[in-house]
Amino acid sequence: MMMKVSKSYTGSSKQRGTYDMKKSLIFLDHENIQNSIDLLAVIDLMYGKGNSITYAACLNHSGDEAMGLVDHIVNIQDDRIENHDLINLTNSLEEMHLIHAFDSILIPATQTGRMLAPRLSMRLHVGLVADVTAIEHNNGELEMVRPAFSGKIMAGIVNKGRRPVMMSVRQNVFNFISAESKNTQRTEFYPTNIQPSTVQLLESKEKERSLDIRDSEILISGGGGVQDNFHCLDFLANELDAQVSASRRIVDSGLASRKIQVGQSGKTVSPRLYIALGIYGSLQHIEGLNNVENIISVNVDKDAPICSLSDIVVVGDAVEFIDQLVKKIKNNRNIETGEK
Amino acid sequence: MNIICLVKFVPDVDNFVYDYDRNVLVRENVKMILNPDDAAALAFALKIKDKYPKTFIEVVSMAPKSIIGQLEDLLRRNVDKSTLISDKAFVGSDTYITSKILAKYLKAQTFDCILTGTHALDGDTSHVPAQLGELLSLAQLSNVLKIDESNFLNSIAIVDVDRERVISTYRVSLPAILSVQKESNYKLPHIKFKNLHLDVSANIHVVSNTDLSFDEKEVGIEGSLTKVSRTYPKKMEKKERIFVENDDEGIEVVYRFLKTKGYV
Ligand SMILES: Cc1cc2nc3c(=O)[nH]c(=O)nc-3n(C[C@H](O)[C@H](O)[C@H](O)COP(=O)(O)OP(=O)(O)OC[C@H]3O[C@@H](n4cnc5c(N)ncnc54)[C@H](O)[C@@H]3O)c2cc1C
Ligand SMILES: Nc1ncnc2c1ncn2[C@@H]1O[C@H](COP(=O)(O)O)[C@@H](O)[C@H]1O
Repeated sequence: MMMKVSKSYTGSSKQRGTYDMKKSLIFLDHENIQNSIDLLAVIDLMYGKGNSITYAACLNHSGDEAMGLVDHIVNIQDDRIENHDLINLTNSLEEMHLIHAFDSILIPATQTGRMLAPRLSMRLHVGLVADVTAIEHNNGELEMVRPAFSGKIMAGIVNKGRRPVMMSVRQNVFNFISAESKNTQRTEFYPTNIQPSTVQLLESKEKERSLDIRDSEILISGGGGVQDNFHCLDFLANELDAQVSASRRIVDSGLASRKIQVGQSGKTVSPRLYIALGIYGSLQHIEGLNNVENIISVNVDKDAPICSLSDIVVVGDAVEFIDQLVKKIKNNRNIETGEK
Repeated sequence: MNIICLVKFVPDVDNFVYDYDRNVLVRENVKMILNPDDAAALAFALKIKDKYPKTFIEVVSMAPKSIIGQLEDLLRRNVDKSTLISDKAFVGSDTYITSKILAKYLKAQTFDCILTGTHALDGDTSHVPAQLGELLSLAQLSNVLKIDESNFLNSIAIVDVDRERVISTYRVSLPAILSVQKESNYKLPHIKFKNLHLDVSANIHVVSNTDLSFDEKEVGIEGSLTKVSRTYPKKMEKKERIFVENDDEGIEVVYRFLKTKGYV
């Protein structure tokens, strides 16, 4: 085993023995595999690219998505463990840790991950940092950065001494891109310590879509700049599974109901993504944006105040933008699903 | 039936004042409120008590003594007992230690169910409920939206859980730890007028380290396994903006962005 591991690193510019390689485990939550794999980017930030041996653990799932990206895929195989059975999942990961002695264990902050990480860290008697969004190094100390107080402040947290370093990682923050393809080893893992579960899944239902703009992850919002074509926002909203909201100008001109107005005299919203189409961004409007992760604004005037809060500013006509982006999304979807 | 509700009092973050000139949060005079998720959990317990008056509800909070007044207000809402875990030695405990302290107290109690919030507004880690699950060897479920009232007395909880895209229904044997979220819409009732000034001091119990007898080195800042090394305000303006136009290249940039962030 040692041989194989060192072999996959020959030829890399930074040759190191397996000896000082860090061993990291990431948990692949089958409900968000891609994002779980992106946690590899965090490992690179912690130890530097290529300085770790990476393990991906998954429960009753092939984990094929991680082939070529990690050094080891460990499949926990046991039909008795269901995905919501956090006690037995913890038992299995503990057993795995006793074998491999990981330097760090990273868990995606999914619904499952957020229940799993605290349980496992308590079992292993180590500290845990929640919802990490950045990694810093300060005087040789590893600092895990996370939002606190509803995202109003950021906190840098260090782990005192004990190993493994454990964290849950905020979803959709990191993005792992790798040029090299690894020679991934696959191991089946049969846990020995299984206890009867006291939790039983009865049924799962798709969520009903709420029509409240405050519940929407993505808002397509329109202002004075799209006054003549406000209905076009629906086209983009449909593609992104988003809801439409508006500035007061639109509401005052009778084009939309007050229920979807964002701002001081409207609603305070916290979507992850806010697409501002033809919105100026007056103070009263901005006041309605609380803890929005990303803003894309489309405006003919690149100096409109909303633009200074945006990740991307598209300088141009908003309706044309909708047109083109909708086309792009549709095209790419067809390519992905293999349709013409 | 005995229900223990774990409650935490948190700064009212929505009313934090941000000083943009100095780039600091003005934290003076910030009011402490009952964490919204915990209020929802407690509201469910009170609903059960309304229906089955023999229910006994205890709220447990680890906090400074200054929140006694707020605990009294919970007693005036029909809670039977308030326990305040408070000791200078506990100050600065991280979630790992907070859970150890709470667990030591809870292990000595009898209960059919522990209710908590899913996450707290301040730290927002969601660690404590799951860590307690581990320490007390109990199943724990976060993001609870609804608990079926009719089965609850038969040592069974049928609960609806918010799992991002779906709502799942689970059957959980009690005792267990159920962590409610405020989207459940269980609302804490107002204090009845006649109870506004009810003397409830006899039902407040303060538990200190004399009772729990931890070695002072294993709790508080010293015992904690994580340490906050610095905090800084999140700067709203610090975005590295990208300017593009409505051409192929611009739309590609936008599309890539949506793709990387998982929006499409
Ligand atoms: C007490 C009070 C409370 C208020 N509360 C609210 C509130 O809750 N919510 C709210 O929104 N407002 C509120 N307002 C009003 C607010 O101040 C603004 O008047 C309003 O938001 C302006 O709307 P707008 O940005 O959509 O439109 P405009 O100010 O008309 O801006 C339109 C923007 O679109 C751009 N544009 C023009 N044509 C195009 C095009 N073809 N393609 C792309 N971009 C284009 C322009 O460059 C401009 O930046 C309040 C005001 C007061 C006094
Ligand atoms: N100090 C505390 N005292 C009592 N309950 C707590 C305390 N800290 C956390 N909890 C409970 O754990 C939940 C999650 O809090 P947190 O782990 O801080 O996000 C809260 O909603 C409370 O129910």
